[in-house]
Amino acid sequence: MTGHYCDFKNADVILTSGSNNLENHPVSSKWVQRALDAGATWIVVDPRFTRTAAHADIYCPIRSGTDIAFYGGMINYIIENDLWQHEYVEHYTNATFIMEDGYEFDPETGLFSGWDESTGTYDKHTWHYAIEEETEWDTSEGGSYAWVTEEGVPEFTPPKVQVAKKDPKMQDPMCVWQLMKKHYSRYTIETVCEICGMDAETLEQVYAAYAATGAPEKSGTILYALGQTQHTYGTNNTRIMTLVQLLLGNAGIAGGGLNALRGEPNVQGATDMAMLVFDFPGYLRWPNVSESPSLRAWCESQTYYGGYYTNKPKFMVSALKEWFGDNATVKNDYCYDLLPKVPANGGDYTTMGTFHLMDSGTMKGYFAWGQNPVVSDPNSAFNRRAMSKLEWLVVADWVETATAAFWRAPDMKPEDIQTEVYFLPAALIYEKSGTIANSGRWLQWRYKAADPVGEARPDYEIADMLWSKIVELYEAEGGPSAESITNVKWDYYIDGKIDPRAVSWAFNGYNVAGTDFASGKVDLLTGFPQLKADGTTSCAIWIYGGYYNNSDAPLDPAEQPVGRRGHDDPGELGLFPQWAFSWPANRRIIYNRASADANGKPWNPNRVLVEWDGKEWATRNDVPDFVFQTTNADGTTTPVPPNDNAFFMKPEQHANFISYGLADAALPEHYEPFETPMKENLLNARLNSPCVKFGDHESVKKGDVETYPIVATTYSITEHWQTGAQTRMCPALNEVAPKQFIELSPQLAEEKGIANGDDVRVFNNRGSVVLKALVTKRIVPLEVNGETIHEVGMIHHWDWTNMYSSDDNVVNDLTPNVGDPNSFIPEFKAFLVDIEKA
Amino acid sequence: MAEGKAILYDASRCSACKGCQVACKCWNLLPSPMEKNTQAWNGSMQCPPDLDHRTRLIITFDEADNGKKYGINWAFGRRACMHCTDAACVMACPSGCLYHDEETGMVSFDRDKCIGCKYCVSACPFDVPRHIGGNGLFDAGAKINKCTGCIDRIKNGRSPACVTTCQPGALQFGDWEEMLAVAKERVEVLKAKGFESAQVYGEEQVGGTHVLHVLKYPLEQYELPENPQVSPLIGAMNWMKPILGVGAIALVGGLGLSFLTGVGYKRPEMRYDEANHDIINVETGEVVRHIDKEAGER
Repeated sequence: MTGHYCDFKNADVILTSGSNNLENHPVSSKWVQRALDAGATWIVVDPRFTRTAAHADIYCPIRSGTDIAFYGGMINYIIENDLWQHEYVEHYTNATFIMEDGYEFDPETGLFSGWDESTGTYDKHTWHYAIEEETEWDTSEGGSYAWVTEEGVPEFTPPKVQVAKKDPKMQDPMCVWQLMKKHYSRYTIETVCEICGMDAETLEQVYAAYAATGAPEKSGTILYALGQTQHTYGTNNTRIMTLVQLLLGNAGIAGGGLNALRGEPNVQGATDMAMLVFDFPGYLRWPNVSESPSLRAWCESQTYYGGYYTNKPKFMVSALKEWFGDNATVKNDYCYDLLPKVPANGGDYTTMGTFHLMDSGTMKGYFAWGQNPVVSDPNSAFNRRAMSKLEWLVVADWVETATAAFWRAPDMKPEDIQTEVYFLPAALIYEKSGTIANSGRWLQWRYKAADPVGEARPDYEIADMLWSKIVELYEAEGGPSAESITNVKWDYYIDGKIDPRAVSWAFNGYNVAGTDFASGKVDLLTGFPQLKADGTTSCAIWIYGGYYNNSDAPLDPAEQPVGRRGHDDPGELGLFPQWAFSWPANRRIIYNRASADANGKPWNPNRVLVEWDGKEWATRNDVPDFVFQTTNADGTTTPVPPNDNAFFMKPEQHANFISYGLADAALPEHYEPFETPMKENLLNARLNSPCVKFGDHESVKKGDVETYPIVATTYSITEHWQTGAQTRMCPALNEVAPKQFIELSPQLAEEKGIANGDDVRVFNNRGSVVLKALVTKRIVPLEVNGETIHEVGMIHHWDWTNMYSSDDNVVNDLTPNVGDPNSFIPEFKAFLVDIEKA
Repeated sequence: MAEGKAILYDASRCSACKGCQVACKCWNLLPSPMEKNTQAWNGSMQCPPDLDHRTRLIITFDEADNGKKYGINWAFGRRACMHCTDAACVMACPSGCLYHDEETGMVSFDRDKCIGCKYCVSACPFDVPRHIGGNGLFDAGAKINKCTGCIDRIKNGRSPACVTTCQPGALQFGDWEEMLAVAKERVEVLKAKGFESAQVYGEEQVGGTHVLHVLKYPLEQYELPENPQVSPLIGAMNWMKPILGVGAIALVGGLGLSFLTGVGYKRPEMRYDEANHDIINVETGEVVRHIDKEAGER
């Protein structure tokens, strides 16, 4: 989230799309209701009429997988009707920037410039700006970048500062504005309706209601979740919502932003910690063989020429000091070489890829730690078969999950499976202390309420036991990459026991000289601005800097920002800066410079985040997310007058409409789902995204519309959680939702001779499951390109395990194991099936 | 006009998550089915489909056309004890088990005093009371089960469990008049938004109920009677109570309810075997319940 849950109350218009926020994020209801009480309009766009839709002012159906068409049409509508926020777009975005010669999108091929058919990738050099001039960093004494030449800082050549060509009038045909305008001019109301399936009247009603937030004083927020992300172009789904928010001036303001509602209570924290293959903690890039084989190469490839990411070497060196402690010195590049490097085929090690590697016999062991992939991952029957080729499997979880019991799935023969399965009982969240990060980036301390049951241990204790044994074995016997193991700093003990408070010191960061974990003496940093690249500071995850910074009470989380419970609310915007800690730097609404105009006056005087009074940024209800003052050599500060650098996490410090950041598109473009009922893409000549991941793997068995004419999607219900491994252990939850079901329209039910409550067989090339029918008017057939398209929806909370409620049918046996080329997320939300009465 | 306290259920804010159903079970230690895969699919989100001997509260679901191309009028309702001011169950109860809490107006019960007569079942205009046992499931002496208003929580300064867990603020708890004012204000907002059928339910009905509803859609979409009434006969029984005493009321009430419901009422005679702590049906000789004194049962 760019904002946080409480901020929903400030919105004039709320658009929920790709989320069922009342059901799956119940706490959101509290803040949405407050917005509605204050007169807000709520729009819900969803393939089915959900419990969320039941409360909306406007409900609009949509065919699953067509969100880019929907939002592309909205962009076209906003531009055509001149509803965009001019001052915001002209000053804070890259609309005025001129693109490199050769940048192009060709609807005749459905491809952007730079496509290489042989590799299936884009050469993205034309996706950059045309450069007017290049300048150097001032690294001289007293210069802005003097730190680069200080003793202890690793040697690297600073990036050239690129000044892009611009056209302030936005008339140049190669400026971002004109290119974007042209790009989305194809997305007419008629075409969007043909693709998405709603009628024009409803679509225009939605567009008009949401585009009204283009007025400077109005704010609109978009709530989304897995309905947007779980597509083969899921990252671009997210990006096109960003484009809409920028056009309407809705990013960086109270009641605005783009708000990803996270599911698992700590999934935000898991993402922060770099659970994805290509990430390093704090959203840095994990070292890889091609662009960052050395520390110098990492610094040179990752450090931005402008904005806050000019500081990346400070974050990386401080992180290496935490990974390797005293062993990390400038002479050995802070042990950078000891970190494993992501190989060129790094994507093969993402979740779906690992099952390919198991299937081919390459991967022989697997840790499933808090996940249940033989139920929750796509084409899960394939995953089960692949898993049976493992030599060993370790499952750490609260209960015996289906993954731990994969060998006795209904379609498996236990006698043929040689995999040794180890089950490590893990403590419940209430049985351990530590931090938890919510969707709004708030880090909060959670205290242990009860001791773990039986032999269950907190995850960090399990990890510590494993780690200690691994180090012992490496020290005794050596082995490949032994140095990478034996040089690691691992001293997170208090009173001889592994302790999350000591881990918090490492996350927050500290001065190396004044700190000794063993004696409990720590010199904690106040925040990440104190980080240095010379080896004198240590910090495992820079974005957490400042969350645990009170050196006077290092053992008491209640005395730390993370443990705060203050209720002050300056501006009465629900910011609550004294409640817990919001990374980064306790900012509640990021990009908040954009909440005020070019002169620093808030767009809306009732929603002031920051305000320039002519002399200084006197009002700071939120922590400024921009350079609002500079600190002089004598410690005094000088205010920085308003400028246009509202997005200082980008090198050009302007928000991007066109971007080179993603693998598959410079501007989001509509492609059909991997399995689609459409014969052609009505917007360009390419049916599927050219960059779909794993589409050609033999396990995928792509289905076509002739054989499988029904669009299917999957989702959760509020009563159960994910694979149900935990929630089906609660009889009270089974009582309120006893069976897995398929929702279908009365029209389709009649066509297939299915009555409400019947057993229905749902099948495609990958699998076949029998579910209970829930026939409801809440699902309507859609008119798509002149044809009636039926859609069905299935929940996926059951498997063959559990002592109270089980089901041999696993819905994810049907979903395709293909994904997005940026996030490698699978396409759970749109695929093809057929159904019959069972 | 009622006094005391009220639970306000605002159907227009309810997200039908059923968190209140689960919270009710947890706080009141009400069991859910434990036998594997025994629960049937009823083709609805409404689960369980009705109140039962171990379920005091359910959220109801009703789908109706909205006259538009997309969407429906999906009504979420709340079905549980209404805590009537003119509570037919209290009037009908011959044993003093059911009672009004004077301070709050909530209708609670003393389980130990329940004699299993089920007069309350026949009397209740909302079809709310259910009984544990004596219903063929456990074949033991029936004991009433229904919402107590979490009187135990209220007396300790807390809101009922269902209210506490409600995220969208559909459930509120407070002084009856304050809750009524909130409800009326909400109805005006809903009417202004075009929900012409929006209404407060519970202000006038049966003397005012201590569960007030804000209904968003027409009444027929909620499992609530249009005009709940206390039978005149039950009213008569009530004023006879202090004159004639519990036993006589049981007799008259029994006859009266037999007439009312058209079902012959016969309460089996029981005897208590002090030696074995068994309750025995005199007619059949069957042990209908064993009281395990060592386990603290009474």
